[in-house]
Amino acid sequence: MVKSRKSGDQLIVYLSGEIDHCSADRMRGEIETLLEDARIRRLVLNFENVGFMDSSGVGMIIGRYKTMRERGGTVIACGLKPPTEKLFRMAGLHRIIAQEDAGRQE
Amino acid sequence: MNNRMELSFLSLAENEAFARMVISAFLMQLSPTMSLVSEVRTAVSEAVTNAVVHAYSGRADGRIFLRAALDEQKVEIEVEDFGCGIEDVAQAMTPFYTSQPDQERTGMGFSLMLSFMDGVHVTSAPGSGTLVKMTKLLQEEDIDAV
Repeated sequence: MVKSRKSGDQLIVYLSGEIDHCSADRMRGEIETLLEDARIRRLVLNFENVGFMDSSGVGMIIGRYKTMRERGGTVIACGLKPPTEKLFRMAGLHRIIAQEDAGRQE
Repeated sequence: MNNRMELSFLSLAENEAFARMVISAFLMQLSPTMSLVSEVRTAVSEAVTNAVVHAYSGRADGRIFLRAALDEQKVEIEVEDFGCGIEDVAQAMTPFYTSQPDQERTGMGFSLMLSFMDGVHVTSAPGSGTLVKMTKLLQEEDIDAV
């Protein structure tokens, strides 16, 4: 199970390991279940423990962005490491998902 | 140094991570930088995922080959499958094109291979499979100073 923390209208999801097609399918289901709580308006994805991500991970993030956008909410990313941040930029994710310091949400 | 390897595995999603581990381990003999390893394993991950997701459409009994060869100048990689093949390779390689838009696919796989590698060549025939050949030219800065 993906680790998470809820407070008010904010949900922090602590992603970990490698996000590829195989693991993204599982993460998608788990995060969508957590987002069934309609109060959540701010989804924070913490990448501190993500060692690898490819385009399947990008697809999973865009999917959650769409879920949040439909309810007028936002997605924030934090703790991106250089290779993941590079992928973020190449995919244009930095234009729709703001980045914050990992410590700010604690 | 000249070396080559060949690996064959089943078209299971779990083998995407396995293929990345193998290519990373094979590159270690070059004393590569993290950045080089990261780029090559992302390209391999995209190619193997295409084989699992598109060529074999989730079938678990397909065969995928991963081959790699390296020397002082370059790393050459092949990912081959014997799945459904690609009817229109140019269309498949168009950024953001995906044949499965409802599956949260980004259509970025080939774009990332092209961005991270110096050459990507795709040979495919409907019904017989796809061969993706990728080349990475090694620069001095790709090798970790000892």
